[in-house]
Amino acid sequence: MNILYETVAWLTDPAQWSGPDGIPLRLGEHVAISAGSLAVALLIALPIGLWIGHTGRYTTLAVNLANLWRALPSLAVIAMVLPLTAPLDPQLGFKVYPTVVAMVVLGVPPILVNAYAGLSEIDRDLLEAARGQGMSEWQVLWRVELPLALPVIVTGIRSSAIQIVATATLGAIFGFGGLGHYLVIGFATLTRGGLGEMVGGALLVAGLVIVTDIVFALLQRALTPHGLVLDRARSTAAA
Amino acid sequence: MRNYRRLALGAMLLSLVTLTGACSSGGGSAPTIKIGSVGFDEARVMAEIYGQALQAKGYTVDMTGVGLGTRDVVAPAIESGQIDLQPEYIGSRLAYEGGTPTGDSQTNEQDLQQKLNAKNLTVLDYTPAEDTNAFVVRPDTARQFNLTKMSDTTAVQDQLKWGLATDCPTNALCGAPGGALQGAYGITQQTIDGATLLSACDTPMADALKNGTIDVGELCSTQPDIIVNGWIILTDDKHTQPADNIAPIVRNDLLDKLPDKAGFETTLNDVSAKIDTSTLAQLYKQVAVDHQDASQVAKTWLQQNGFISQ
Repeated sequence: MNILYETVAWLTDPAQWSGPDGIPLRLGEHVAISAGSLAVALLIALPIGLWIGHTGRYTTLAVNLANLWRALPSLAVIAMVLPLTAPLDPQLGFKVYPTVVAMVVLGVPPILVNAYAGLSEIDRDLLEAARGQGMSEWQVLWRVELPLALPVIVTGIRSSAIQIVATATLGAIFGFGGLGHYLVIGFATLTRGGLGEMVGGALLVAGLVIVTDIVFALLQRALTPHGLVLDRARSTAAA
Repeated sequence: MRNYRRLALGAMLLSLVTLTGACSSGGGSAPTIKIGSVGFDEARVMAEIYGQALQAKGYTVDMTGVGLGTRDVVAPAIESGQIDLQPEYIGSRLAYEGGTPTGDSQTNEQDLQQKLNAKNLTVLDYTPAEDTNAFVVRPDTARQFNLTKMSDTTAVQDQLKWGLATDCPTNALCGAPGGALQGAYGITQQTIDGATLLSACDTPMADALKNGTIDVGELCSTQPDIIVNGWIILTDDKHTQPADNIAPIVRNDLLDKLPDKAGFETTLNDVSAKIDTSTLAQLYKQVAVDHQDASQVAKTWLQQNGFISQ
């Protein structure tokens, strides 16, 4: 009950909702670093995933590398990148770049693997038909493969986004703000009433993760081609 | 693993020696002294030093508890008798027991003893060495702004990038309104709000100072990074930081069981008297940075200072 009381007290204190250490600002930082990292991860993972899925080349290598990549702990990535980026810029290279790199490392595998998987699951006959109609390889990719694979690709982006939002919390250990700031400070002041702040911060991160998930679920629904939805409805009706 | 095995072997041999010694002199059975400490390298090496000094005097020592865990683990362990002796930071322990540590070591020791009386624990003499919060600068910053003590930073605070402990803005010993920085050194709330908050006495803070992310960093006075990088500790000229000297804490029931209580206390007090801040920092560095075995570092130091024969 104490935890609950202190958490509610912290979250409802108007002082938390404004100023340089306020929740809106920290939330903004958290969303910004997550969105930026996701954008970079997309730029890296999507072209590679689509190319592998389309050509069918290097699939084993790429998928295994991506999965191996997943085993890298984010905190270790931050610690490894820090000595490389800190000399470039004492502020951003210390507080921001290492976290962004770690989040990109975290975000690439789900996007890459799903992009590949989405394309590879498409019925080969459809591609044959498309090529038979005289479509170029680009047209096959853009007009046939991409729309059909989109739900699977967005699923990859969705899980990548969720992982990034949840893990960007680590940046606070190295002086980046974000919502992780409350966890770090709450923990440091645990014996002096930091419990509410720590749990409150954790709840905010969890809340942001849920919101992110919902946003991507809606996006996924909006992006699913009409044909696929109808098709699914028809097949369930037939069954 | 090898360390444990070597330790176990050493303990076994020593217990044999002490057993036969006790038999030949026909003395009473001396109790085994179970030593414990927190997991931190500095505390571990101090536990080894106290333990091996006692072994050299013929006591049977069980070192299993060295590096047991955090204070939350070690404090209940000594209260319940799972361990009998531990090296402790008197200021931090006083705060842990609900007291208020001051800048005066003697007061801290007395206050801590008062708190521990009810728990049947005795605080022996403290070391001259203290591991306390220290504000540290790089030599180039010190030269540029002519900094040697904390008061020197007041006038140039806006030109320095500050790295403070994560809990600093609400900690009275640090940046809380009216606390040490604001009250004693005139560091403004604006400076504290603009500081980079990092884990004090830890790698991120040391890295930030090394990289120039910050110019003033809150570290611990015996932290090896200070020796390794040649950094400068700004003197706490207004004595705001609590004196955190190290002292052995012992269970009273163990002291009562000892055949020679005075000799036991003298052994530990003599050792403590020789440990000053730079000695402690060096011992800590040998374990944390040079990756030497804590028990070997302790043994070498005890030999060099004549507590055990070569």
